[in-house]
Amino acid sequence: MVSTVLVANRGEIACRILRACSEAGLNSVAIYANNDKDSMFVELATISVELAGETIGETYLDQQQILDIAAEYGADAIHPGFGFLSERADFARAVLEAGITWIGPSPLAIEMMGDKMTARKTMKAAGVPVIPGEEIDFEDETKMIEAIVQASTRVGYPLLLKASSGGGGKGMRKVESPDDLVESIKGARREAIAAFGDGRVYIERMLTGSKHVEIQVLADTHGRVIHLGERECSVQRRHQKVFEESPCPVMTTDLREKMGQAAVMAAKAVDYEGAGTVEFLLTSTGEFFFLEMNTRIQVEHPVTEMVTGIDLVREQLRIAAGKPMSCGQLMMRGHAIEVRLYAEDASNNFLPAIGPLAVFRPPTGPGIRLDTGVREGDMVTPNYDPMLAKLIVWAPSRAEALQRMRRALDDFVVLGTTTNLRFLRELCDHEDVVSGATDTTMIERIWPNGWSPQFSSEILNAALMVAGVSESAGLHTVQATMSSTDDGPLSPFQSLTRRYP
Amino acid sequence: MQHEFKFAGDTVEVTVARDSQTWHLGDSECQIMADGRLKLTVNGVTKFAHSTKVGDVWWVHIDGHVFCIEKTEAGSNDDDSQGGMVAPMPGKIIDVLVEQGQSVTAGDLLLVMEAMKMEHRIVANMDGVIGMLKLTPGDQVQQGDVLVEISE
Repeated sequence: MVSTVLVANRGEIACRILRACSEAGLNSVAIYANNDKDSMFVELATISVELAGETIGETYLDQQQILDIAAEYGADAIHPGFGFLSERADFARAVLEAGITWIGPSPLAIEMMGDKMTARKTMKAAGVPVIPGEEIDFEDETKMIEAIVQASTRVGYPLLLKASSGGGGKGMRKVESPDDLVESIKGARREAIAAFGDGRVYIERMLTGSKHVEIQVLADTHGRVIHLGERECSVQRRHQKVFEESPCPVMTTDLREKMGQAAVMAAKAVDYEGAGTVEFLLTSTGEFFFLEMNTRIQVEHPVTEMVTGIDLVREQLRIAAGKPMSCGQLMMRGHAIEVRLYAEDASNNFLPAIGPLAVFRPPTGPGIRLDTGVREGDMVTPNYDPMLAKLIVWAPSRAEALQRMRRALDDFVVLGTTTNLRFLRELCDHEDVVSGATDTTMIERIWPNGWSPQFSSEILNAALMVAGVSESAGLHTVQATMSSTDDGPLSPFQSLTRRYP
Repeated sequence: MQHEFKFAGDTVEVTVARDSQTWHLGDSECQIMADGRLKLTVNGVTKFAHSTKVGDVWWVHIDGHVFCIEKTEAGSNDDDSQGGMVAPMPGKIIDVLVEQGQSVTAGDLLLVMEAMKMEHRIVANMDGVIGMLKLTPGDQVQQGDVLVEISE
């Protein structure tokens, strides 16, 4: 049984989980760093406990401190959310050793999926198709180069070098021709050692023009493993998803069944427990290949919730408490789209932005859901990930969902901090998005020289008049200075490489 | 009331007149609503806008667009001598105050253009000599067109 859940996370996903705990009749413990003391998630828990320390390492990543708080406040389960400690097998193990329920899969499952080469081998053995490529078992640079050069003749070009411990594009190299191979291997290895302390690199064929399609799976402790259909998340910038939808526009009942079964096999191969996501590349010819498995709740989980009617976080809580999942036969209804609202300058290479949320007015109406951890008056600081909110819409058809998203984005008012709202809005009008012909490289393809907002002189003139009237009338004003205590040790640029797939 | 703003590097002068509860600019009208939003009527079409000032910058949301418009003191020249002398929007040249070869100092008024009944003053962004200048009053220009060049 579970009675008190400690949420080892912050921001939007902490709010999501804390509310689910409240709805499930469970007590909750929020933990927060000092620079988060006024954040929304802190208000939503039964008890909120401040973490000692300054940096992320000293706070949200401090395993011992979190375990001590769990013990002190009687938490009998820990939900890690996504990011932070969510895919750290050592933390899952420490939680279990402390006699606390880990809301997630076993440490072994996390390890097997976390090491990309092990995951590939496990999937091949389970009969799940993997991207054509080869694992390289050497850690020594010279031997590794020799093995990869040989493998490259079988894999073909263009190819990708990937770090076995990799993620978020780190330790990854695209290689177009044999001339660049050796230098790229050295580069990928260096980057992987720096980022993960593990220089092992493997090789895969690059499947250009593919879609990123992932299958949500759910497994309980009563032997039931099911899939909940797919999400397409092809639209990405800097390896981060910005636009996600379900169903995938090119999905067929037959293909869904095949991919769903492959995902279930993948989960079974590691004795999976709880909610997880099996990511695939779907080629234009309808072939699909295992990419990786994310052993946690995912950012874009609401898309699946909207079309299946299943509350995934509630199911996680139920499964962790040892109960059978409550889902029946898979029923997908209508179409859901999620966009990620980031504090960033889409017209300047998506550089993270900071500032006050002087005005923050989300859209409302039927079929609109907002998952956020901020509200009007909050400061966007460089301390954490720049994702402000997820805007999710549901409608009976894809065309209607897209139209609802356009309306919702037009109505979404955020002033004081630069966001990607307008970028997302223009994305909804692009012909490839409208037709569903999305693939993983489309943002670079559509805007090879970067995006900049399009507007008419009429609208600019109207805005100038608004500024003139506002200035004359002395309307709402906010101080621009941010208090020095909000400035953490991290610059917004460092958060660029953080990954929340 | 007359205000000077900077948008995308260009200086823009905006003059609004108040008549009871309604502000006017050309044929456009604007009223401030009880919740702080602005109700705008342009060419008979009504739009609603949000605005807020952070430091010196007015953030304006209108029709799903956000504009950052910096309030500057009239006549001041805090130009970062960058860009500046391109057309901020499509419009018509209504006055040319300098000629080719003339020496100017930063902040000198060079051209006045009009777009949507608003005047936009193009001022020198650096000291120097006016280079190529082919525009005459009445010429139409497109957004981003280089209006005048100054060389040191």
